[in-house]
Amino acid sequence: MVDLLFLGLSFLAIGGALAMIVYKDPMYSALGVLISMLSVAGIFALLNASFLFMVQIIVYAGAIMTLILFILMFLNIKEEDLPNEPNKFKLIALGAVIMIPLNFLVLKAVSKLPAKDLLLTNTDFGDIGPIGTVLYTDWLVAFELISILLLIALIGSIVLAKKRNKKVKNKGAVS
Amino acid sequence: MISLTSLAFVSMALFTLGAIGVISRKNIFVIYMSIEMMLNGINLFLVTFARYHFNMDPQIITIMVIAIAAAEAAIFLSVIILLFRSKKSLDTDIFTTLTQGEKS
Repeated sequence: MVDLLFLGLSFLAIGGALAMIVYKDPMYSALGVLISMLSVAGIFALLNASFLFMVQIIVYAGAIMTLILFILMFLNIKEEDLPNEPNKFKLIALGAVIMIPLNFLVLKAVSKLPAKDLLLTNTDFGDIGPIGTVLYTDWLVAFELISILLLIALIGSIVLAKKRNKKVKNKGAVS
Repeated sequence: MISLTSLAFVSMALFTLGAIGVISRKNIFVIYMSIEMMLNGINLFLVTFARYHFNMDPQIITIMVIAIAAAEAAIFLSVIILLFRSKKSLDTDIFTTLTQGEKS
């Protein structure tokens, strides 16, 4: 049962990533990415990471992909705004040629490791309590730095969104 | 079926497809989503090894990566909106005016 679930989730994850590359319309690409991220969240749940499963669904599928879809609809992109990509499939083949040796190397290295049972356990590994304990003791400095980074990103996006209006106002004042 | 090699295969496949998307596409939205896909593949790799070694630290690193991805989304999407408003296009080849000078 768990094996079948894992097989289906991994097929959906890889299929969503393929759809992202192949489709020309960014809306279909975004939906492919959404399917892929939800499947990755399912694999997190199979790997006993229940808190990360929720975070992945809330942050990636809920916030980031919704933001991307919102901006795609907000910009109202027409067919002629899309770049035409005449040699897309040639470049995909080139990318595959570049990336396959790296994959081969990593998979060979990983397959040499001793096999272990990766099934679900009954312990509280990956629950919100132990993760919070580790996060607020061993990783406290990194956690604070991440909060500063998020604050800077917030201020930066506000500045980027506001700058254009100021310029237009200044131009109007000069002329 | 859930072995270390199959999980590593899935995460490396996601990473590879993201890298191929960055190499092959010209649409700036698809490039951004490919970067997210590469981050997702690496997250899956980290969580796999967290379960393998029964250690919580890789999951913390995954939380950090997700937070950085959220910060990146805010900046990247506002930059995309500015670029689309000034150029009316999503083609990355148009955004080379700073390097070329004459292409505009």
